[in-house]
Amino acid sequence: MSLSKNDKRRGGDAPPFLSGGWRQLPPVAFLAIALLVIVLLLAVAVGPIAAGQATMTGLVSAGYFALGAVGLTLVYGVLRLVNFAHGDMLTFGTYVTLAFTSLGVPFWAAAALGMIVTALLAVMLDKVIWEPMRRARTSTLQLFLVAIGLAMVLRYSVQFFAGGQVRSVGLDTTSSVDIGPWHLGSLQFVVMLVGLATILITGAGLRYTRLGKEMRAVADNIALAEVAGIDTRRTIRITWAVAAGLAALAGILYATAIGSINPNFGFTILLSLFAAAVLGGIGNAYGALAGGIVIGLAQEWSTLFFNPRWKPAIGFAILILTLLLMPRGIFGRKKARS
Amino acid sequence: MSVDFWLGVGVIAGIYGIFVLGLQINVGFTGLLNLGQAGFMSIGAYAMGMLVTDAGWSLWWAMPVAILVAVVAGILVGLPSLRLRSDYFAIATIAFAEIVRYTFQNADFAGGNQGIIGFDQEWRDVSDWLLDRFTRIGLGDETQLPLFLAIWITFFLCLIGLRLLQRSPWGRVLRAIREDEDAASALGKNVFAYKLQSLAIAAALAAIAGFFLSFNVTYLYPSEFDPTFTFFGYAVLILGGFASYGGVALGAVLLWSLMEGLRFLHLPLSTGQIGSLRFVLIGLILILASMLRPQGLLGRKAEMQLRQ
Amino acid sequence: MSEAILAIEQLEKSYGGIRAVAGTSFTVKRGSLTALIGPNGAGKTTLFDLVTGFVHPDRGAIHFEGRAIAGLPPHRIARLGLVRTFQLTRVFAAMTVMENMMLAPLGQPGESLLGLITPGGRSRRSEAALGERAMALLGHFNLQDKSADYAGTLSGGQRKLLELARALMASPRMVLLDEPMAGVNRVLGKRLLDYVEELRRTTDVTFLFVEHDMDVVMTRADHVVVMAEGAVIADGPPDAVRTDPRVIDAYLGEVAR
Repeated sequence: MSLSKNDKRRGGDAPPFLSGGWRQLPPVAFLAIALLVIVLLLAVAVGPIAAGQATMTGLVSAGYFALGAVGLTLVYGVLRLVNFAHGDMLTFGTYVTLAFTSLGVPFWAAAALGMIVTALLAVMLDKVIWEPMRRARTSTLQLFLVAIGLAMVLRYSVQFFAGGQVRSVGLDTTSSVDIGPWHLGSLQFVVMLVGLATILITGAGLRYTRLGKEMRAVADNIALAEVAGIDTRRTIRITWAVAAGLAALAGILYATAIGSINPNFGFTILLSLFAAAVLGGIGNAYGALAGGIVIGLAQEWSTLFFNPRWKPAIGFAILILTLLLMPRGIFGRKKARS
Repeated sequence: MSVDFWLGVGVIAGIYGIFVLGLQINVGFTGLLNLGQAGFMSIGAYAMGMLVTDAGWSLWWAMPVAILVAVVAGILVGLPSLRLRSDYFAIATIAFAEIVRYTFQNADFAGGNQGIIGFDQEWRDVSDWLLDRFTRIGLGDETQLPLFLAIWITFFLCLIGLRLLQRSPWGRVLRAIREDEDAASALGKNVFAYKLQSLAIAAALAAIAGFFLSFNVTYLYPSEFDPTFTFFGYAVLILGGFASYGGVALGAVLLWSLMEGLRFLHLPLSTGQIGSLRFVLIGLILILASMLRPQGLLGRKAEMQLRQ
Repeated sequence: MSEAILAIEQLEKSYGGIRAVAGTSFTVKRGSLTALIGPNGAGKTTLFDLVTGFVHPDRGAIHFEGRAIAGLPPHRIARLGLVRTFQLTRVFAAMTVMENMMLAPLGQPGESLLGLITPGGRSRRSEAALGERAMALLGHFNLQDKSADYAGTLSGGQRKLLELARALMASPRMVLLDEPMAGVNRVLGKRLLDYVEELRRTTDVTFLFVEHDMDVVMTRADHVVVMAEGAVIADGPPDAVRTDPRVIDAYLGEVAR
């Protein structure tokens, strides 16, 4: 089948946890080794306890950064644009979840509902806004302005109904878990597990299911995907649904890990999500997952040396450096220079 | 809806006007998606504020130097980022704006979240002197009048300057770049240099808008200049039309009348909710205008279509 | 003796495994009207892109008037006097015909911010003089009545003519024309070529053009370079090339044209 032939030729696409031919290893293995080396260096610099603690906390945030970034990158392939409104999908999904919990629905069910509602919203928006614009072949400027407008509508609609204040998630944030010499809040532990598990499932799904292959093909090159016989319209809608669902989950994980949210949080972490997606190579889903892990770890590691209030600045710095020095990202093949 | 109310609307509209003139030269005339305009505004205003309060300079010297600082910032931002593709350039500029805001919010040298005050004493002196004169003609009660006049006179001077620039051969090259960079390059035009100049001019205009904004509020704090200011600016731009400097004034006045006019609808909503509603409206304007009438109210549809 | 104005040596360019230009070498004599022909996909447009700086070669050298230009950015090459037209015309559609023309000349004082600020009316005088030249040039191509129209409203053939007129406005030393006759009617096409020949006689401008119309090539060109699959397979006067077996071979299947 033509699709699997494409897979083999695309070298560094393999997710980190699966081994292919050694030719497929390079960027991914290099990254994994680099991260391990950094952990070891940190252990030497600040002691294994602090280094390990920061790494664990980093893995917590890696979950939501990766899931947020993978949605961004999948949608990029469809929109040919980095979706500015993506951060607010996280916000939307999380607030919908909270709305359900306030109605008495148990948290995990509310989360599932939140993901579904967000997915439906994304599909509807594609039908009403993005598809017509795709057909009319609008300019990047117009697409960008629509994305910005959508971001504002989403965010401030949420704020309109839920108020702008910081709001607690209402879960038990006091209990904690011991893993060897390190501690983690139980909620954060759960977030880390769920996050990493979802990353694995998403990566596997993208690689092995037919749907996953179709999504990646469409994200890479719509015209070619059409020629290969893929129903691009259906795949695009599913891509939006998956991206939005993962975004909602990312937001929920973030809220659970931090314990509180406000309507701006999605926008606030948007640049970190961009950083993760661009670092991984825009349009490359595995890259986004890896990028999210890097960003999450990098931000926490920075607290070993700098004041924690500069954490988001690490995301900015990585974004800027990637754009300037390596605009294709670690795994990417898209042209980034004009 | 007193005179004072309309002067207030006029002040904000005018500030946006100057700010958006900068966006217009980038977006409408060079094809650059500058999302970091608020960052330049912030740098200009803070440079002015710090020169006056920390270095003891006179406001009248601080302002032109602060404009220069913003221009240098524009060049520094442009040098690495202008060779990127247009949506990556947009992301780079917004990253820049966020870094600026973040720095001013968290670093001690800029007064942090407390901000800076007292830099506008000399302006207030001028304003009071003007009000004194106005009293003789019965307008002494309109305290916002001096600022209003200063802003709009500046706006029109900038407008005239930009119009002249646009009609010049320099402006012609800029428009060619917006149309088709490669063809312009093939004719010997150094596209990169022109884009850099466009960005530098926008930064200067943002700085001037920043001065007036800080005079209006009388103190400088970081969230005055957050990215939503830029997004509002784009709403003004899209309302007034791309590639029309006159449209900027129209868009600014329209938008701000709309925003302030919401107050008078006596909706059963809290102030917070009205604030949110404003933003939702801005978002809707951006979406609908981009989809349905991308050339704006005063733009020429023919030009827009030819370009596509 | 006319020397080489353009010298291409062992130029190579590959796109992901496909060798678009594979070790091409040839020279163009100053003041000549040289045709570059070859079947589709032979690498002709890629060659133009390489010479004008839009694409950087993987290997090889390009010398224009003795200067090495491979790898220079397009605007620097244009400023050296080497201009081109494009296969799919690239006129500035949302600008008027006159504006298109006025963009071409190099060194206009009004095009730099500094030049605008310095007093003395240099910009105004330059604009006036160039405007007159532009109208005269447009006249040669029968476009003078359209000078105030948007270039996007011109027909395909008229756009080709505008692109050529615009290139000539730049007072170039050498012009690369990518299929200048495509879409242009015979009468106007003949005028275009007559004007080009006259230019060659009166000035020293060199023309290198890609063309598929063999009539034009054989009657007008004084030198022909034939490319196939990225390399030069023949290089000489039209008569020699016409009967070259390799050329006929390469065109097999194109003979019907």
